[in-house]
Amino acid sequence: MRQPTAQWTQGPAVPVVSVLVALVIGGIFVAISGHNPLVAYQALVLGAFGSPYDITETLVIAVPLTLAGLSVAVAFRTGLFNIGAQGQLLVGAVAAGAVGAALAPLPGVLLLPLTLAAGVTGGAAYGAIAGWLKATRGVNEVITTIMQNYIVVFVMHWLLQNGPMSAPNALGTPASAPIGAGAILPIVIPNEILPLSRLHAGVLLAAAAVVVFWFLLWRTSLGYELRAVGLGARAAAQAGIDPKRRVVLVMAIAGGFAGLAGMIQVSGLFHRVFDGFSSGFGFDAIAVALLGKNSPVGITLAAILFGAFARGGTIMQSNAGISAHLVEVVEAVVLFVIAAETIVRAIARRRGTPAEALA
Amino acid sequence: MNLDVLIGAGVLAATLRLATPIGLAALGGVITERSGVTNIALEGCMLVGAFFGIVAADRSGNLAMAIGVALLAGMLLAALHAVASISFRADQIVIGMALNILALGLTSYLDYELYGTTGTPANLPAVPSLDLGPIGAIPFVGGAIGRQSSIVWATFVLVVVLQLFLFRTVPGLRLRAVGEHPRAAETVGIDVRRTRYWAVLASGALAALGGAYLSMAVAGSFTDGMTNGRGFIGLAAMIFGRWTPVGALAAALVFGYGDALSVSLQGADIGGFVFPVQLLSTLPYLLTILAVAGFVGRSRAPAADGIPYEPEGH
Repeated sequence: MRQPTAQWTQGPAVPVVSVLVALVIGGIFVAISGHNPLVAYQALVLGAFGSPYDITETLVIAVPLTLAGLSVAVAFRTGLFNIGAQGQLLVGAVAAGAVGAALAPLPGVLLLPLTLAAGVTGGAAYGAIAGWLKATRGVNEVITTIMQNYIVVFVMHWLLQNGPMSAPNALGTPASAPIGAGAILPIVIPNEILPLSRLHAGVLLAAAAVVVFWFLLWRTSLGYELRAVGLGARAAAQAGIDPKRRVVLVMAIAGGFAGLAGMIQVSGLFHRVFDGFSSGFGFDAIAVALLGKNSPVGITLAAILFGAFARGGTIMQSNAGISAHLVEVVEAVVLFVIAAETIVRAIARRRGTPAEALA
Repeated sequence: MNLDVLIGAGVLAATLRLATPIGLAALGGVITERSGVTNIALEGCMLVGAFFGIVAADRSGNLAMAIGVALLAGMLLAALHAVASISFRADQIVIGMALNILALGLTSYLDYELYGTTGTPANLPAVPSLDLGPIGAIPFVGGAIGRQSSIVWATFVLVVVLQLFLFRTVPGLRLRAVGEHPRAAETVGIDVRRTRYWAVLASGALAALGGAYLSMAVAGSFTDGMTNGRGFIGLAAMIFGRWTPVGALAAALVFGYGDALSVSLQGADIGGFVFPVQLLSTLPYLLTILAVAGFVGRSRAPAADGIPYEPEGH
């Protein structure tokens, strides 16, 4: 149907330009609606990085974004478009929440690895379905994963509202029973040093996942094959690599990264699953992967930037009275500019700048 | 258990009500994908239609004006899609995602700026219902169709018009040719890009009408993100309906019926077993996956769907 991997040019110029363009357009937007853009952005930056506590809050959001970004990126690298990171994240969260609660009495040395395995396996299995349908029935993974995102939301409604996972709670929203103490990821900076800090050991898991992503793609023969398929399925086939066989595996790996993100949200942050859990990370992840050019360092930086947008936006709304939804406008423009990279190049050409200067 | 919760007039009326926005989005999807452009921003087009329709109704107090502004908003969002994906050959899925996020952010931002936390004003001009007079007095039939919104009826008309257009007219044939084999279409003198532009704009208008229906006929107000994935169900209906207007409407009616059941069966007790109504809502998505996979019939997309077209000699 289509080739989902655009081959982004090397170097950080296009991502940086896209963020700058987005910030300018966002600023114009703020000005038109009668606010001072500088005040808005100052509030946003201070909200995201103004104090050690703010920085940890930014990282709390960047952790699942990084993992979901890796999920989208590993598929991109193989020429697949994983729109399903959101659904895979939720399946991972449900699996981790179920195991963490059902085996609550177990000690941490057993329970934490089991919970982690449940999250990763859940996400991987859900991702593998899309890969399997693609490999065996030729179903476009974009369609499957879009549909899967919605299926899991309604299954969660049932599980939590009156299904087997529903448990009494004081949250005011349907939720599962809390996971056992052994399944909880510890806080990284003790609250005696940084009061209220919520940054959990999930940040270390995310860092490890970034290394795994790099190692897998650039230091293993499997990774070499996957990237070869991504660069051109026909050429890879001629080199003796069967693109179809790899599809299930890649979508499982992608789902595994997203499932880990879901598990971390449960084990590190909320300690249970609830209705409306972590909505949107999987969609932001597409922007994170594209902005980060599907590279380990790029994805990490892009996830921190989007984490800063989310955290800073909340503070901007409460301190400067400007709707946090401004951040979504900025994010959309970033995505739009990256997707329309050719537009940027066309403008550059018209100005007489060689396109290579942007690359 | 009372049979009315399955096939009562109330359930059928609700089916029509719930199927209409899905059907309109699906019609938009049929037109654009038949021309070879995948537009997953239908959700966003619906949302801007819902929002700007309400804003225009509030500012002008004029219903026709409000509908016009809603359609225009949807077409403007679709125009961004067209420029990026047709003229600049950007990835259509990424552009669609970007526009969905843009629509959600933009409408929520402006909603907060214009109406704060109090919500949109009450007593806005609403799309009138069509009173079928004596037919409304017929038992059952009257309850099901006696007082439906005029947009519901307009949707049925649009389905017929678009079905005839696509399969019985020369411009319709050209549009399909562009979506199946653009190179061949161009050699016989069809302007591929222009055809696709019009198709994408039309899809934006149709989806926006679906959004305006939600805000101006059903709810009477706008709330952030109120389309709530209906644009994507529309895409599902398009696929399940095999990329034809009549099929898309049929699929929308099936999905709408599932939605209506998930309301009417709420808390229904079937021999001591509480029916999991939430799982009914997964049906559109499950059926669509099965249909695309060929387990339930076989849905095939237009051959050039989603592939940017590069004119010869460029």
